[in-house]
Formats: sequence, C-alpha cells, structure tokens
Amino acid sequence: MPDRAIERWAAPHTTVVTGANGWLGRALVHRLLADPGRARLRLLAHSTADAAALRQFVGARERVEIVIGDVARADTARRLLYGVHADADVLHTAGIIHPSSVRQFTEVNVNGTRHVTEAAIDAGVRRMVHVSSNSPFGTNPHRDDTFRADEPFNPYLGYGKSKMLGEIAVAEAAAAGLDTAIVRPPWFYGPFQPPRQTTFFRLVRAGKFPVIGKGDQRRSMVYVDNLVDGLLAAELTPAAKGNGYWIADARAYTVDEIVETVGRALTDEGLSVKPPATRLPVLAARIAETGDRVLQAVGVYQQQLHVLGEMGHTIACDISRSTAELGYEPRVELYDGMRRSIRWCLENGLEL
Amino acid sequence: MIAHAATSSMEADVLVIGSGAGGATTATVLAEAGLDVLVVEEGNWVEQGAVVPFSLDQMDQQYRAGGVTVALGMPSIAYTEGRCAGGGTEVNSGLYWRPPGELLERWRRDFKIRDFEPDDLLSIADEVETAIDVQLVPGGYSAPSEMLRDGAAALGWQHAEVPRWMTYPKGADAAKGERQSMTRTYLPRAVNAGARLVTGCRVDRLVLDGAKATAALTTLADGTPGRITFRHVFVCAGAIQSPALLQRSGVHGHIGRTLAVHPTVKLAARFADELNVPDDVPVHQVKEFAPHLSFGGSASNPGLVALSLLDQWSTFRQQVTDWKRMSVYYAAITSEGRGRVMSFPRMKDPVVTYRLTHRDRELLRSGLARLTLLMLEAGAQEVFPSFKGAPAVRTRRDVATMQQAFRASKATVMTVHLCSTVPMGEVTERCGADSFGLVHGLRNVHVNDASLLPTAPGVNPQASVMAFAIRNARHFVSTGGSRA
Amino acid sequence: MAVRQFSAAPVVGTFAERLLIADLPDLQPQRRREVVAFIAHRVDSLPSFTRFGVLAIGSVFHLLLAVPGGWGVAKALMRLPLPFVSEYPRLMRSLGFAYVWEHWPSTSPTGADLEVSA
Repeated sequence: MPDRAIERWAAPHTTVVTGANGWLGRALVHRLLADPGRARLRLLAHSTADAAALRQFVGARERVEIVIGDVARADTARRLLYGVHADADVLHTAGIIHPSSVRQFTEVNVNGTRHVTEAAIDAGVRRMVHVSSNSPFGTNPHRDDTFRADEPFNPYLGYGKSKMLGEIAVAEAAAAGLDTAIVRPPWFYGPFQPPRQTTFFRLVRAGKFPVIGKGDQRRSMVYVDNLVDGLLAAELTPAAKGNGYWIADARAYTVDEIVETVGRALTDEGLSVKPPATRLPVLAARIAETGDRVLQAVGVYQQQLHVLGEMGHTIACDISRSTAELGYEPRVELYDGMRRSIRWCLENGLEL
Repeated sequence: MIAHAATSSMEADVLVIGSGAGGATTATVLAEAGLDVLVVEEGNWVEQGAVVPFSLDQMDQQYRAGGVTVALGMPSIAYTEGRCAGGGTEVNSGLYWRPPGELLERWRRDFKIRDFEPDDLLSIADEVETAIDVQLVPGGYSAPSEMLRDGAAALGWQHAEVPRWMTYPKGADAAKGERQSMTRTYLPRAVNAGARLVTGCRVDRLVLDGAKATAALTTLADGTPGRITFRHVFVCAGAIQSPALLQRSGVHGHIGRTLAVHPTVKLAARFADELNVPDDVPVHQVKEFAPHLSFGGSASNPGLVALSLLDQWSTFRQQVTDWKRMSVYYAAITSEGRGRVMSFPRMKDPVVTYRLTHRDRELLRSGLARLTLLMLEAGAQEVFPSFKGAPAVRTRRDVATMQQAFRASKATVMTVHLCSTVPMGEVTERCGADSFGLVHGLRNVHVNDASLLPTAPGVNPQASVMAFAIRNARHFVSTGGSRA
Repeated sequence: MAVRQFSAAPVVGTFAERLLIADLPDLQPQRRREVVAFIAHRVDSLPSFTRFGVLAIGSVFHLLLAVPGGWGVAKALMRLPLPFVSEYPRLMRSLGFAYVWEHWPSTSPTGADLEVSA
C-alpha cells in the first residue's frame, strides 16, 4: 500500500472480524493472517457449520479465535467483544445481500450493525470499520454521472434501505463518540467467491449474460483484494475518522466491456466461450425492476429478477477522495482480476 | 432620448428585429461599419432602476405576458422572455459565462459550422467582457451566496463566483452593482454610430418574394398597421419569437423544431439567521456536475418565497412568515429532450411544447437531492423542495424520502434560458440557418440570437449569444452583405 | 379569435375570489379585490393560445360556482391530477400569492396582516 506521508496507525493487538466466512470476510482474513503485527484475530462465524469451514480455512492457529453467533441477535456482538478493549479494531463485513426473505435485510444489516456499534462503544475499541455499499445511494441519474464521496441517500429497494439505515446507525454511533470509518464497495469480484457466483461465469461462457440495450451502462466494480486494501487503509488511517469512502477499481467499466473482458479472460484461461448473444431491450430491465419492487414490497426476494432489474442502470463511483485521504490505489484491474478469479475457481473445484 | 416611436412607414438598409443580446450587438457592429440600421423593438424602453428587480411590476413592464409563458408538456415548463429595449439582458441575473471551449468544438463538429475557430470566438468574448464591464464583486457577497459556497465547500464540490456585467462603486458589495445591460452599453453605442431605434412596434410577419424578404408588416403601439422596407433583415427576437416570426412569414425548414432549455427545479432553505436579499441573486454557482447539472441561487423576494412553497402549501405554508430567514435556490440540468415552437394562422402567439426524457427526469431528481444535501451542509435548518408531496427535509434520511417522493410531473419546472430553435451550421437535416445565421433557403434573412446556438450550452447563454452575434455581423459586413 | 376581445375579469374573477377566500380567509376584502384585479389583468396579458385555454377551463370552474354544491365539485376537480385542469387553480394561486406576499410581506399563512395586529 503506497504511503504518501499519510499518518498511519500500527495494526491493533486484536482484530475483530464479523462475516469472517463470507466472500469479503475470507479475503480479509487471508490478508490478516499474513500480518504478524496482528497478534490476535477474533472471527465471528454465523453458525456451527460456518465455524467449522472457517476453522478449516484458517488452520490450527492459536492466535485465531472463532466465536459462533448470528449478528442479528442482540447478545452476539457482546459475546464477540467480550474482553476486548482499546487496542482493538472491529471490521464489520457481516451483511446479507441476497436473503431468503426481505425481513432479513433489517435483521442483519440494520439491527446487526446497531448491535455491533453498541458493543463497540461499550468495549471502547479504537475504531470500527463498517462495510456499506453503493446501494444506499441508488443508481446514477445518467450514463456519464459518477457518485462523489458525499452524496444524498436514495436507497435502491430493500437492500439499499437496510444499508442506508446501517450507515445511519454507524453515524449515530460516531456522534456518540465511536471512532468509525465506512467503506463503500460496488459490485465485487475475485477469489473466495461463493458457489452461487459461478452463475456469472457460466452465463458469459454460454453467451447468455443479459446485456441491456446498448450495453453502455457504466458499472464500478472492485477486485476483492483492492477492497481489502481499501478497508485496511480505512482502518489504519487516523484521518478517516467519521468519513465514508468509495473503494473500487480505478474506473467504471461499461457492461459491454465487462462481458467482453470476462469472455477474454475465460478464453485465456483455456475455457470455451460463445460470443455474447443475449441483448435485451431497456424495457425488459424496467419490467424486471418493477417486478422486483413489487415483490420486495410484499416481502419476497427474487435474486435473478433483482439482478436483471439492476443491470439496466449505471452505478459508478469516484475514488479520488479515497486516494487522496487514505492513499488507496487499486492494484488490480478487470482483466487481470477476472483471470485470477477464474483460476481460483478452477483450483477450488468450482465448475464454470 | 435614444428610442423613438415607430411610424407606419419606415425603411432601412438593414432591419434588426429585437434589441436584446443579439439585436443590440448586431446593430452596433453594422452601424459602426457605416450601414443604415433600423432596430425595431416590440416592448418599451425601461431605465435600469425604474422598476424593482424581480418584482411583479418588472414582470409587467419588461417581460412578455407578464412573465406567464409556458411550454406545454407533462410537466409543463414555465419560461420567461424579456420584452423591452435590451430584452432579457435587462432582467436576467447578469451572470456571465464564456462558452466552454469543448462545447464550441462539439458544436463545430456536430453541426459543421464552417470557418469557425473557437479561439476566435473567445477573443470576441474578450471584447464583450470589456464593453459590458464583466467583473467579480469587489466587496462582500450576499449571505445567500455565501451559503451556497459554504455548502459546496463542505462537500468538496467545485464551485466558483461567476462574474457579472455590472459596475460597482469603489469596493462595493454585491447588491450595489449597476447592471451593464444593453440599454446601458450596446444600444447607446449603436445609436451613437447612427442606428435608429424604435420601440413599441411589433413585427407581425415578413413579406417574402421567393427567397428574398422585401418588407416587414408591423403593428404599432396604438394598434395601427405599419410597414418597413429593407434590403436585409436580422431576426433577433429570441428563441421563441424568432422562429415564430419566420413560421408566420411562411419560411419552412428546421425552424422551431429543436427548442432546447435548461429545465430547473427549486427549493427554499431556511437558516438560523436572517439572510434574505429581495432584489439580488447569488453570484456563486456549483459546477461540480457540469455540464449536466448546475446549482445556483434564485431571486427570493417574499412573493417568490411564497411561490416556492406553493406546491406543497398545505404543509409548507407556515414557513412563509419566516421569509427573512429563507432563500430560494435552483438545480438546472442540460436537457436531452427538446421542444417545439409552432405558429398557427391568425394566432398572434406561437404554441410552445417541451418533452422531458427519462434521463432528464432522473437528473432533475438527482440535482434537487444533491442541492438539498448541499443546503443541509451549509447549515440550513430545514429545506422545502418545490414539488407536490415533498417532505420538509431536516436530516440526510429525509433527503432519501424526498428523492423517492420526487416526480418531475409533480414539480414546478421552469427555465430562464431558451435556445436552439434555428440551429446554425451546414448539416441540412438539423440546421435552420447557415454557419453565419443566414436562414437556409433565403437570400437576405438572418437570425442572430439564442435561436442559433445548436444546443443549450449548460451555462448562462448570454455571453455565447453576444459572441456569435458579433462574429456573424462582422462576417456580413466583410462579405459585402450576403447574396441579396 | 373573438375571445381576445373579452376581458378575463368576469370569467376568472369570481373563481379567483372564491379560491382566495378559501386559501386566505383572513385577507382583508379590499386587498382581496386588489389581488383579483391583478389576476384578471395578468390573464388578459397571456399569450393568445394560453389565454384561450385558461378561459376555457376557467369557464368550467366559473359555471360550477353558479350551481348549488358546485364549489365542492370544483374542489374535488382541483384535487385530481388532471393535466391542464389542475394548472388553472395553480395559476390563480401563483399569481395571487406572489402578489399578496410581494406587496404585504407580513401576511400570515391565512391572509392576516401580522404587522397590523402586532
């Protein structure tokens, strides 16, 4: 991580990570394990099965302690931070993106975040980093627009609203004295992805990834290791206190470009790819979005409909403040990142 | 006395219709080149300072239809046209923006404007800046202007003080500026150089003989008919009236089909301290999101504050007594959509329509929300967005509620800039006039006002209008007066 | 068009007055008359096409007032999101309120003059 005379803290004695067995969680833990300066890691796993998988991932290390609990429950955060004090940072990555019911958005993303902030205040931790999203800000009003570092809320459906309320909970904790920083990643990609994400690669291989209209919608994406860089920069930069930062690749990509690049990455990793053939009119995305909205209003979440509805939009963010204040520099870009991602999937027995 | 009453029979070498930013500069260039110029203005001569700026009285005396002109659509867009000697320059904010170089390049390329070097146009802009005393405020800014600046600074959004064509007593504050409008600058200059200016005379239509216009049929102030004969005519009646006049005269072509405006939505913000300035407008603008979005301050006298609360009067009306602590601000967009100006036989005024696209509506929503956030960051206690169903906004969470409730069709959408109804250039499928304003298909009829600007520029257009008008008028002079 | 020759005052005035009474019940009658006269004068200065439309819709509202229960119908009509129809009372209000607050800035939301009563 390039350091241009930006003041940094040393790594804390104890690093607490929620959502440790998730996609971002694992990428983060992988990095933390490699840092000898972090004497103790305390990781939250959501269930016994999760904890077992996590233990297998980290290996038998004494410096890693795994706590089991659902962050949505009030007592979990207290148990997680039991005995933790000032020389500790909390990295809160736990959240739900594609739930089985809409109710979970509130339980996990809002209540869970609130429980963690409250326990963090009581424990007197040094800093809490909260992982938010682009979703509280909605979509860009037009193709060439880019979200600046500070934007008005305009939550995109249930997930967006829950992430907005999560940010508000963090802001309230900051007002109550907690040292906080928020990182906002857009669509992320890279190693450690869960099995459901292979659909993305499979669709591109089959030439069936739905491109809406001209495919010129811009989408910011973030390679998961870039995200880890940004998250750790937000953790260890004193001046980040109270702020929120976009953490993304250097520039947004058009959907056409994404499909073309991923196709090329797949080919260069030795997999066959059919030329992209699925182009849907803008109306299709609008209908999907309306359908998604209607379903969510009655508490139902349908992942494919949601993703399709979102595909017609531009979601692009500007990382210049993250670079200026955190020294954040994305080191990997799309083609390279996708190749690494594909290689990791193949190495880990995931079928694309 | 610079202006005179019209008579029923007049003649000139060159007739200039309209005395605003386009007409006054055209008349000056031509008269200073020794041509015999007659400027005909529909409205009256009103001295700067004779009416209170932004008052209903001013709307009555210096605007068309008392300021109540509207482009029909869903929603309709209210617009204003100057109608007086000096036209819009007498009543506008006075903010001066040179046309951006990239925009000029794009116009040149997309509309094939020939013999056009953006740098040459910008050096004409230099001349204009001297002639009308374009300058920054020497003294202090108004509080509403500072609020806009402070909010933008807090968010890290690019903002700037915009210079105005004003003179100031030494070191004076913003409100003491004296507007260097056309009645103070180019009109006296044109008359000094020999041009004649008549007011209270409306041109109903031009008489065409094939591709040549030979006369203008007029109506005088007392309602009697008149006639003006000429060798050349420059139509500088503004982006609504110029195409309407050409249509009434039977001119066909790309005229009146591509009206481009800067759709604008507003809010009123209330602060802890009194800050209202009834007769001056903020000089700061926020250009972070240019060219698509621009934020600035609007006229905020108590009547206008009441108007800004009107859309949601049922819940907002309690605020009106607090007007001294309030100021009105706007978010303006560049529009993808376009409008039409259509004249019908035996109808004095054209029908104007405008269509906003989906992107335009999204941008209006986003613009108003970003502006609302800026107001909160500037320290506003409460923000009242001007649309039906708007919540009062006190917190960032309220901004989310506001954005989700916003519909362009429920908002008061207006524009003070009107352009592009007779676009200039050599692309026959898009342009109504050639690269110098000569109407395609005609030999001696020119347009020389905001109608020529190929698109709405995304900044206050007066500087662009004046620079192009001067360029085109000089070309006319140097080529011995077109092909007539 | 023949409509051009007629003043808007009869068609517009009664409705404008009724609207002002409902919106600003505490506005002094003399002031209200002044506002109504201003509104009628402005409608007379509208561009021909707009004026025609305003008078056409205005006539409907004007006629409603002559009928028992008509004001209730008018109020219901005004609440509907009908294009152009809803713009008529909006125009009346914009003109009226701009006049009231520009000329008497200390007017309360119900039309009372706060300075006078203070």
